[in-house]
Amino acid sequence: MNNNKAIQVQDLHKNFGDVYAVQGVSFDVQAGEIFSLLGPNGAGKTTIISMLACLLEPTQGDALVMGHSILREPMAVKQAIGVVPQEIALYEDLSARENLTFWGKMYGLRGGPLKQREPLRFPSLSDRVDEVLEVVGLKDRQKGRVSKFSGGMKRRLNIGIALLHRPEVIIMDEPTVGIDPQSRRNILDNVKEMNRQGTTVLYTTHYMEEAQELSDHVAIMDHGKVIAYGTHDELVKIVGELDRIDLTISAESAQVIEQWQATEGVHQITAEDGELTLLVDDSNIVLPRLFESATQAGVRITSVEIQEPNLEAVFLHLTGRALRDE
Amino acid sequence: MKIIDVALKDMLRSFRNMFFLMFGLGVPLLMSGIFYFAFGGLGGDGGFEVPQTRVQIVNLDEPVAEYGDFSAGQMLVEFLQTEELSDLMAITKAPDAASARAAVDDQEAGVALIIPAGLSASVFDPAGETAIEMYQDPTLTLGPGIVKSIVSQFVDTLAGSKIAANVAHERLPEQGVTVDAAILQEIAMQYSNWSFSLGEGGADALLDVRSPLGKKDTDQMVGIVGLIMAGMMIFYAFFTGAASAGTILQEEESGTLARLFTTPTPQSTILGGKFIAVFALIAVQLAVLMPISSVIFGTDWGAPLPLALAALALVILAASFGIFIVSLLKDTRQSGIVYGGVMTALGLLGISSVFTMNVPYVSPIVETLPLIVPQGWAMRAMRLVMEGGGVSDVLLTVGVMLALSLVFFLIGVFMFKKRFA
Amino acid sequence: MRVIDLTLKDLTQLIRDWQAAMFLLIMPIVFTLFFGFIFGGSGGEEDPRLPVGFLDQDGGSVLSAHLLDLLSASDAIRPVVLEDASLDEAEKQVNDNDLAAAVIVPAGYHDKVLAGEETPLTVIADANTAVGSTARYGVETGVARLLGAVQAARLVQGETADEAFLLQTLDDAIEAWREPPLKIAERQSTAIGEGEEETMESNPYAQSSPGMMVQFSIAGLLGAANILVIERQSKSLQRLLTTAISRVEIILGHFLAMFVMIFAQIFLLMGFGQIALGLDYLREPVATLLVVVTMSLWTASLGLLIGALAKTEDQVHAFALIPMFVLSGLGGAWMPLEFTGKTFQTVGHLLPTAWAMDGIQNIIMRGLGLESVLLPAGVMLAYAVVCFALAVWRFRFE
Repeated sequence: MNNNKAIQVQDLHKNFGDVYAVQGVSFDVQAGEIFSLLGPNGAGKTTIISMLACLLEPTQGDALVMGHSILREPMAVKQAIGVVPQEIALYEDLSARENLTFWGKMYGLRGGPLKQREPLRFPSLSDRVDEVLEVVGLKDRQKGRVSKFSGGMKRRLNIGIALLHRPEVIIMDEPTVGIDPQSRRNILDNVKEMNRQGTTVLYTTHYMEEAQELSDHVAIMDHGKVIAYGTHDELVKIVGELDRIDLTISAESAQVIEQWQATEGVHQITAEDGELTLLVDDSNIVLPRLFESATQAGVRITSVEIQEPNLEAVFLHLTGRALRDE
Repeated sequence: MKIIDVALKDMLRSFRNMFFLMFGLGVPLLMSGIFYFAFGGLGGDGGFEVPQTRVQIVNLDEPVAEYGDFSAGQMLVEFLQTEELSDLMAITKAPDAASARAAVDDQEAGVALIIPAGLSASVFDPAGETAIEMYQDPTLTLGPGIVKSIVSQFVDTLAGSKIAANVAHERLPEQGVTVDAAILQEIAMQYSNWSFSLGEGGADALLDVRSPLGKKDTDQMVGIVGLIMAGMMIFYAFFTGAASAGTILQEEESGTLARLFTTPTPQSTILGGKFIAVFALIAVQLAVLMPISSVIFGTDWGAPLPLALAALALVILAASFGIFIVSLLKDTRQSGIVYGGVMTALGLLGISSVFTMNVPYVSPIVETLPLIVPQGWAMRAMRLVMEGGGVSDVLLTVGVMLALSLVFFLIGVFMFKKRFA
Repeated sequence: MRVIDLTLKDLTQLIRDWQAAMFLLIMPIVFTLFFGFIFGGSGGEEDPRLPVGFLDQDGGSVLSAHLLDLLSASDAIRPVVLEDASLDEAEKQVNDNDLAAAVIVPAGYHDKVLAGEETPLTVIADANTAVGSTARYGVETGVARLLGAVQAARLVQGETADEAFLLQTLDDAIEAWREPPLKIAERQSTAIGEGEEETMESNPYAQSSPGMMVQFSIAGLLGAANILVIERQSKSLQRLLTTAISRVEIILGHFLAMFVMIFAQIFLLMGFGQIALGLDYLREPVATLLVVVTMSLWTASLGLLIGALAKTEDQVHAFALIPMFVLSGLGGAWMPLEFTGKTFQTVGHLLPTAWAMDGIQNIIMRGLGLESVLLPAGVMLAYAVVCFALAVWRFRFE
């Protein structure tokens, strides 16, 4: 491993015909950190994950995972990582325990000592399965068929499989999409716990709050490229001290928007789905001006939300678009 | 070993899958059971139950006074009403021809026999010719066929007497014999007596029937159901092969295949394990169906060694073909068409000899056509073994099956490797 | 109106599913042709009689020549002379199914028979098969006629030792057997075609066409029943219940879609049978319509019941295909019930499929009319009512 880096992505490219899914992406993930790839759908996050998991061959470039090249040492890479795919990938006609047992075997776990570089961590596959069931909170349902599980339970099992062989790196591809807040909370807590135990986590998401809450470093992606990279504070500095104001108005009015664009202190306005997002110097100063213009134009402002500078604002600033499902 | 783990996982899933249990085991037994039931297997003595045909008979024949009120028509009626024929025919006398025909039209009888007026007279008239009308239900073939063969025997006796009398009438004058009615009657009577005594001797007096060498003397019903069972087993073995191989597509769509590829398990191990499961499932299917059908239907599968060869070749061929077919598909949606359409059509073609075994004269095309599909070769091997063939008889067919298997398997592996490259 | 909207929605889904089209139309046509071809034999031009090998080891004697003539005149078999063949070769040809049987005229047959000795002919045939039995019977008839001719000649010869006279008389008798003075005239009970003809060519598709129609009308339920299951699984059914449509209307809408689908399927298959296969389904239009309507009603009811009971697509497969096999097999769709045992026939006629076959074959084979289909239609209607009632009772909206 080079300089304590768990993952080193070196100028990765991936084309699918004329579609350039990943264009010259490079970043490093420090060992023991949580690193997020943040971007909207179609940004190329899953493609990068697939390359790092040795499912897709890069068109160009390479990456090192725990010092192993994805091009030249795929098996070593796979042994070092645990992948939590975005879609639930379980055998629904097997029980939770049967799933874990099978996947454990695929990771080389057996009843006896492991043939791994690392020292023996647990006595048998069966014991490890018990441990993981405990971690994901499915001990009581271990004999139940997965087909009968709720969505949240399936997601937890989906994560548990990746933990079986205690990988050094866990790659999680948008694990909280489409789930209830409580389950999401559980997953985020699990990620932090894994990290506390020393596991490096590469986490992809299009939810800014998750990236903000979890990550030591964030790479913001759009259209196959990393458009910004750094810690949360470093990224937020890109938008400076700009505040973000989300507004809705009573009627569409190009005149009002034009007036607002010309208003002092307003840097950027985007309109999407009836919502207006503005980046302004100081919301306390700019907001009254906005109200005044609207009143003069006979338009009512029906809702206002003010946000401190965040990653969403960074994305908006860099791309001119909101970080929402597209 | 991981390859065995993958295979065992697939097998476990298949055993929990209703589709496999139903089509791999349930339906073949069900269909054979239906045929077993159809041919009188339940409650009977195991023999082929020939159906009883309802026959309406009208005797319009008038006795010939000058020949002692001889009535051929009455003789025929009495003959058909004998105890020995009661299992084959239920005779009802109809008042007239119209009502006899109407009974057939109304499906109250399968056959109406209308004995013409002047039957007896025509026997004694040198120039006399006549015919017994057999009016039959067009949806029936077996029953009318049996009635016809029985009545033909009787008619041939009469015809023979008449021919003897006619020939005597023509030829005796050449010998200077004056032919009169008495002489003709005497000749006719002697012929009839000879004919009836011949009839009493049965077919053994005329023919010495031998089975072709190697053909087993099997109970016909058991033989029929046995072949049906073999056909069903082959048909559904290929289904199992395709369905098991099709789990590759299912796993691809559900994401578990991609997940498997993220583990430190070589692709060849993953696919190899799946292929092993395909072979193993078909082997299990055969291992269950064969003994069960032997016990329930009395199926005689043949000598052990040629049977083992044929069965092994079937397992390998069905599995390889399944892998090959699935390798050509894009997704599980297409597999529905494959199972429902392609495999069914190919399977039916391959086992079509099961349907033609009771059909008189089958065109050579129909006999050979099944060999364009792998199921046809499997059926051929099974038939050879079940009809008493030895290892040398079945070796060529098994060889062809294995060669086909190799081709299918290699193409399948190549296609999958390309797909997952 | 909402019922119609739901029906149209279902039909749209079915039409777009080309897998369903495969089951509904293409498969029954393929199977009809396949079975018709198999059971129809080789076709028009070739001799359809069973080939029976004729091996003359009697040196071309008069009797063996006469026997050959008599066998050639048979309507069941046709002799195939095996020139310079051995017994083993003849046996192999029977073994390989190149011949239905083989007759071997032994050396000295002519002399022994004329001397009045009992001399059975050797016949190689697998009497355990219908082909072997039929061939054997054909040979037996020919041999019986030959011996009859010999007997007639001997009776006429009487006490004279004139062999030439005997042979001349024998020739006369054999000649007479070519056109026996007494025979059987076969006629079929049917109003189709020329009813006065002595024999009738039966259409080889008269069994397979209605049989496959009956079978695949049930197979076609796969797609239709799946719509109900998917509707329930995807919660669309629950969503439907939040609209103004009532539960009754939902059930009727689905049922009507199935009815229309099956009716159209049968109609198209009958059209195919009428135009391409020469089966006169339209000779009694009202009778045919009644059969088609009641058949569609009962099959649609079965489909509704399957959709009501099944929870998953796999279950739909099971609940549709197993009845398809059982009802078709027991109902005489694969082979005429005539070939089966009594019990089987009785059980078969408890099922609507057997009555569907009866109804259709009454029209196309027996040449009967409306009266003949009333009972079959009544039975199918009764099944429709029962299945529909069960479906409504068991229909799950959750």
